[in-house]
Amino acid sequence: MSRPPCRLTALGQVSALGGALEEVSARLAAGDATRLTLNESLVPERSLWLGAVNETLPEIPPNLERFACRNNRLALAALEAIRGEVSAAIARFGQGRVGVVVGTSTSGVGDAEAAIAHRERTGVLAHEFHYDQLEFGGLARFVAEAAGARGPAYTLSTACSSGARALASARSLLRLGLCDAVISGAADSLCGLTTNGFAALGALSAGVTNPFSRNRDGLTLGEAGVLFLVTREPGGIQLLGVGDSSEAHHMSAPDPEGRGAETAMQGALADAGLTPADIAYLNLHGTGTPQNDAMESAAVARVLGSELPCSSTKPLVGHTLGAAGAIEAAFCWLVLAGLRGGEAALPPHVWDGARDLELAPIRLTEKGARAVFGPRSAVMTSSFGFGGNNCTLILGRSDSP
Amino acid sequence: MKASLLRWSAWAPGLDSAAAWEAWAKSPAPLPATGAPDAKFLPAMLRRRCTPLTRTMLTAAFGAAEPDELARLRTVFSSRHGSINESIGLLENVVRREKLSPATFSHTVHNAQAGLFSIAAGNRAASSSLSAQEDSWTAAWLEALCFLERDPSEPVLVVIGDVPLADTFAPLVAEAATPYALAVQIAAPGSGPGLDLELASQGRTGTLLPPPWPPALEFLRWWLSGDESLEQPNRANRARWTRV
Repeated sequence: MSRPPCRLTALGQVSALGGALEEVSARLAAGDATRLTLNESLVPERSLWLGAVNETLPEIPPNLERFACRNNRLALAALEAIRGEVSAAIARFGQGRVGVVVGTSTSGVGDAEAAIAHRERTGVLAHEFHYDQLEFGGLARFVAEAAGARGPAYTLSTACSSGARALASARSLLRLGLCDAVISGAADSLCGLTTNGFAALGALSAGVTNPFSRNRDGLTLGEAGVLFLVTREPGGIQLLGVGDSSEAHHMSAPDPEGRGAETAMQGALADAGLTPADIAYLNLHGTGTPQNDAMESAAVARVLGSELPCSSTKPLVGHTLGAAGAIEAAFCWLVLAGLRGGEAALPPHVWDGARDLELAPIRLTEKGARAVFGPRSAVMTSSFGFGGNNCTLILGRSDSP
Repeated sequence: MKASLLRWSAWAPGLDSAAAWEAWAKSPAPLPATGAPDAKFLPAMLRRRCTPLTRTMLTAAFGAAEPDELARLRTVFSSRHGSINESIGLLENVVRREKLSPATFSHTVHNAQAGLFSIAAGNRAASSSLSAQEDSWTAAWLEALCFLERDPSEPVLVVIGDVPLADTFAPLVAEAATPYALAVQIAAPGSGPGLDLELASQGRTGTLLPPPWPPALEFLRWWLSGDESLEQPNRANRARWTRV
């Protein structure tokens, strides 16, 4: 049956793996975990491995100064990378027909910390601080104004599933005819609030995160800016399926049986009209916490079996929280963009190799892993967030080279 | 974009019944700046973890659906400020290099109200949480239309609410600050009283000033008034609501 197309037409992104797509593809395929850096200042008396973005980020233009925060600069880095395609879409469809749906869990809270530190010293908030930087809706408004888009613009914030959910809503706005193009993705920035918050929860790993290992002890945090130009066009790389669920279980721990994760993955398959055999690669949520990896491996084994090649890319870029669903969709996009002769290189699962026999068996990719793609083959990525919010996406390539 | 509005429930200080809201809609006035519902329908254990905003939004949500619907409907939660008031204390902890409360941290995610609703109602359906500054009501409606696009067979429960910002940030934001929440069930066209939302892309102008209460309550006032249409200013466009 024919479904309205939803093309992920252009991708701009920046994470610890870098900004240039060819470079990021090469580092992904190589499983380059050397990009993480050690931080001694964010959490008192603790050193942390982080997936920080170390390249120079673009400056916020003077007319948008009230949005000047690191989170928006990450988004701007992604926008500048697709500026040509975005401007062409605005010229073709009109400003009012181009929308923005983006995700974040932090917005500019890192800059709010600086403003409050200033108040502690002087009694007043730093004068360069504007509420537009802190409120979640500010990200969508900033992207819209920086792009020159005047269609619907809003920010989704469902913790770690925010970025995946943004792409799902972008597709719906196109199918509803409310937009002809949507700028969609996410930005999330490292800050004192998230690093100290996850430290307080006991969720951070002592070293670099080690997902699905029997030695896993928590997550490594990261940051990213990711934007796709999404259009109602056939061809290229398509968003084929969306599945989502809530957990009704706990604010900061998943259902141990992984029922919510299973519902999201099943929903995405049904939405795409695909079977488990059509999935060629799965980008796992794979945070490296004992609970996530236990429930996720169980759900994956039930839905997709134990032979599907899968990996978590969080050992390479960290857990980018509100941007995780978008950056991992970007990595899936790069896998599909790298298809040659019906084969693609897969990101290896970088870990200590110590299999946890308590976990349901799943096939974690090794260095040099490749997958064969048939005409129906697609890739899947899952994100599971605090508050029990799950979202799975399926991407495919309709012009199989 | 057409849809049906099946049912609504709202809460603001002193306005806790449909009759009270209908009276307010006949002679609308600015609303009090303080107050929160007791949300006695929540189990005591859960209620203790609820902030004033969570109690306010869940009171509206539980008033707008039957128990089986509460457990089944997809939900959209919208709030301009969300849990920012609770985050202020955490930010002070961070700058003073104090330990954070893990429970407070995990309850300040923007989808905290959605997460606690899911637990309280036993709801495992899809759920979205969003924010769009002054446009958070229109955006909530659009996000609900997105859920209806994916599956029009079931309504979507939309819940919007806010509480006034604490002193740290309140001077930075010009708005009608009142604690409130509105919940509506939105369904595919033809399943109940209908309305149409159109977005006109011309921006806010000096001739279209917002009233001194939140945009979602201006929408409710209009819905109860029987008037043909309502225009609301957004940051980059105008929302025009028409009864159909």
